[in-house]
Amino acid sequence: MSYLSGRGFDLPRAQVGVSRWRRFRASVDWPLVLAVLAIAAIGLFNLYSATHGTRHAGKFDQQVRWMFVGGVAFLVATVIDYRAIVRLSWIALAIAVMALIVVDVVGRGAKGSERWIQIGALGGQPSELTKLAVIVVLARIMQETSGASPSWQWIVPRVVAAVVPVVLIALQPDLGTASLLTLVMLTIGFLAMRDLWPMVYTLFLMVLAVPILWETMHAYQKTRVLAFLDPSADPTGSGWHTRQSIFAVGSGKITGKGFQEGTQNQFDFLPEHWTDFPFSVWAEEWGFLGSLVLLGLFAFLIIWILNVAMNARDRMGAVLCIGVAAMTFWHVVVNVAMVLGMAPVVGVTLPFISYGGSSLLTFFLGTGMVASVSLRKHGY
Amino acid sequence: MIQGSPELVRRMRWVLLFLLVAFGGLVVRLWQLQVLRGDRYRHETVENVVHERYLPSIRGRILDRNLVPLADNRPAFNIYATPRSFTPIIAAQLRRLLGLSDEEMEQVNARIESGRKRASRQPVLILEDQERARAARVEQERFRLPDVEVRHEPYRYYPQGDLAAHVVGYMSQMTAVELARNEDEGIAPDELVGRYGLEAEKEHVLRGKKGKERYAVDARGHRLDEATARGLIKGDRIVEPVAGYSLVLTLDAQLQKLAEKAVSNHAAAAVAIVEVKTGRVLALVSKPSFDPNVMTGHLTKAEAYRLNNDKRKPFIDKTLRAQYPPGSTYKFVSTIAALEDGLAQEDEEVACTGSYERSGTRFRCTASHGKLDLVEAVQHSCNIYFWTLAERIGIDRMAEVANEYGFGSRTGIGLNGDSPGRVPTREWYEGFTRFKVGYTINSATGQGDVEVTVMQLVMAYAALANGGTLYVPQIVDRVVRADGGTVIPYAPQVKQTISTPPYVVDLWKRGMWKAVNELGGTGYEHARSDVVSIMGKTGTAQVKAKRARKDEPEIKNWHPWVDHAWFAGWAPAEDPEVAIVVLIEHGGSGGKVAGPVARTILEGWWKDVKP
Repeated sequence: MSYLSGRGFDLPRAQVGVSRWRRFRASVDWPLVLAVLAIAAIGLFNLYSATHGTRHAGKFDQQVRWMFVGGVAFLVATVIDYRAIVRLSWIALAIAVMALIVVDVVGRGAKGSERWIQIGALGGQPSELTKLAVIVVLARIMQETSGASPSWQWIVPRVVAAVVPVVLIALQPDLGTASLLTLVMLTIGFLAMRDLWPMVYTLFLMVLAVPILWETMHAYQKTRVLAFLDPSADPTGSGWHTRQSIFAVGSGKITGKGFQEGTQNQFDFLPEHWTDFPFSVWAEEWGFLGSLVLLGLFAFLIIWILNVAMNARDRMGAVLCIGVAAMTFWHVVVNVAMVLGMAPVVGVTLPFISYGGSSLLTFFLGTGMVASVSLRKHGY
Repeated sequence: MIQGSPELVRRMRWVLLFLLVAFGGLVVRLWQLQVLRGDRYRHETVENVVHERYLPSIRGRILDRNLVPLADNRPAFNIYATPRSFTPIIAAQLRRLLGLSDEEMEQVNARIESGRKRASRQPVLILEDQERARAARVEQERFRLPDVEVRHEPYRYYPQGDLAAHVVGYMSQMTAVELARNEDEGIAPDELVGRYGLEAEKEHVLRGKKGKERYAVDARGHRLDEATARGLIKGDRIVEPVAGYSLVLTLDAQLQKLAEKAVSNHAAAAVAIVEVKTGRVLALVSKPSFDPNVMTGHLTKAEAYRLNNDKRKPFIDKTLRAQYPPGSTYKFVSTIAALEDGLAQEDEEVACTGSYERSGTRFRCTASHGKLDLVEAVQHSCNIYFWTLAERIGIDRMAEVANEYGFGSRTGIGLNGDSPGRVPTREWYEGFTRFKVGYTINSATGQGDVEVTVMQLVMAYAALANGGTLYVPQIVDRVVRADGGTVIPYAPQVKQTISTPPYVVDLWKRGMWKAVNELGGTGYEHARSDVVSIMGKTGTAQVKAKRARKDEPEIKNWHPWVDHAWFAGWAPAEDPEVAIVVLIEHGGSGGKVAGPVARTILEGWWKDVKP
């Protein structure tokens, strides 16, 4: 159980002529840091373009503050040994579950569902950070089962506990986040489990469960899904977002309309574009080429995180990275597909770019943990 | 080095493949949207932002000869709504706030629906010409009525009410067919167009040309500021509207008023007064009439029902469209034909016994007149004298003279469906029956199948008065710009010159003089005037007997079984200036009923209008 000894910030003694700082600087995963910084910078730039001079201009300043908080979170997560975090995984999950219950009971509604929690001046969506808690818990389970196959008595309660947040989020109801978290968990399973058959069975059962889920969905959720299937059926209602988003993206053509020239976002044809539709703004103003650059950066980030996973010193580090990579991947794919009219409109953010503290903090912490895994791959 | 997850390393190929497929799918979709369909979506986003609206042009006015406005424009409050945001909730709010009736609500919904089909983000006119209170209400409650706006726009109105309503006409909403035809000119579905009278006939002159404004809006339809708009819109942003031209009529509003007042006691009547020497129309009355202010955008269903079911047919112009048997006013035709052909002599006397028999049919005269010469026959309007002449000249020769005086063909005024009337000939009768001498006899006294319009008759009498020039009646004197400058002047137009020898016409005139000014004349009691010398001919045209049906609503002074009363003549007698024809539909005796009306009008004209 040496991996649980939790040496934390216990870096080895300095070697002759090499300071701890220089060793740290040399070991930090700079490509990862730079990719994150580049994407976050694009996010800020994009938000500025879309809101400067409008009544939403204050959102830019707010986002800068959150970016700063996120940066600090990234640093802290890098410096702290991920193994210490994994050790606290069940506590993290317990806190997340409690927060979710509080939201379900007293939470403030945002667009017909309760996702928001307010404590004093601080408010946030616990469902975002819950994703990290679940990833960390899975990392721990995977680590503990790396040896022999676990007994049923041991594994079932743990898996059930990991699934509890999904159910709570679905009950909020926030179907987007719940499905996303499910996708992340499935991805971790498919990439990290030694034996794939349990995952295949799970997937099969879930497909069977889809009709039952449809029956229990709220009317507005059904409308959104139906609107996605045929956006032109009700162009001014549910399909409005999708239609206007497609117009915005398409109208960017190859090189885009340019900085602050996107009429679709400037004149409110894309309501709330800063949270769920920032890609639409980017694609309108910078065109096909700009879209390729941004998607390329995301692809690089994900592949790089997977690279870190492959080189991690232990299984839990690998699973942690796989989890963060999966989370990033699904957020990007679902969000962009939604913007391009290929997926229903769900509240799934674009990592580092969407306006909002909870989402930013989640991704900065997540990538920070990846940096921590990367930093310690050589046996700090 | 590989410590973490050997499974991941094993599955890395699949992971990368999956990533490639997912991101590749997004890129392909981006390619489709941005590269393949980019132009289309760019166009859509421009349409989102740049809206067009037409700027109304001010419609030309219609003025009488002294520039008294008969049709004008006044500022009005029009309420517009944008179909896209006009939800049932807002409709209910609007209804409650303004207290709209079911009928108004129906209209609002119909207009919203048709607007939605065209361009759901373009405001459509839902309620026109609203009271100040309603407009103020909409302004006050703006937050409850998003995208409902009040515009201050010119609206057609008729300051003289129903004065000369048939000449001026009215306007009404375009039909779908008209709309399709005129769409390019920027005519909105809720727009009014001239529908009757000069409003319809001179639509192209009066309308002018709409301007166009292109402006930028945000998603809520709020206008963006000038600088932004300039950046977004290429080309002209405003094309100024061109005001329509105004019409100056030959009509005299004062005389028109006088004439309308003179027939006010009759249920249905027509009066036409023209200048003898030019053919210019001074007054044209068709009764019953309608109020163009009501017809133009304020017609309720109840009112429309009432007008459409009125037995007197208010929408048929009784001076131009309706045809009537002219009765004895038509006798000049047989007189002229007979005298021209030498088939009658001034001093030839015919004995009137009160009845006349031909081919087994007994024709009755108005009285037993005893022995009369030609002039006396005109004075007393003895039918038997003219029946005798008719048999000598024949129906075709009479038709020739009638055609010379303009009967049987349109007057050429080009208004309200100007009818040609009917002058029967032998050939015409043989087209469907065996010709009988009775037809000739009937034609001689303006009965049977002879039909004329009031306008035809007045132009014929003007021709008698002016020595043989038949004019085309002229109603528009000139077309003017808003500043009063003349654009098109119209001159009197001669339809044809008549070659009746002067001594023939003089003989007929002597008869007309006696009819009004000598004891025993048909108009002596009722049409003779001490104010102005009048001469004329009365007529009492028999109608096919009609009994009122019991279920018919009673109309005051309306007796459809009674004869039509006519008076046709001119004043002053010696040097004619104006010719007049009065027709009282089902009024009874021409002299007794139509005579006094003509006298009142001509006296008023002489005393008040002429100087």
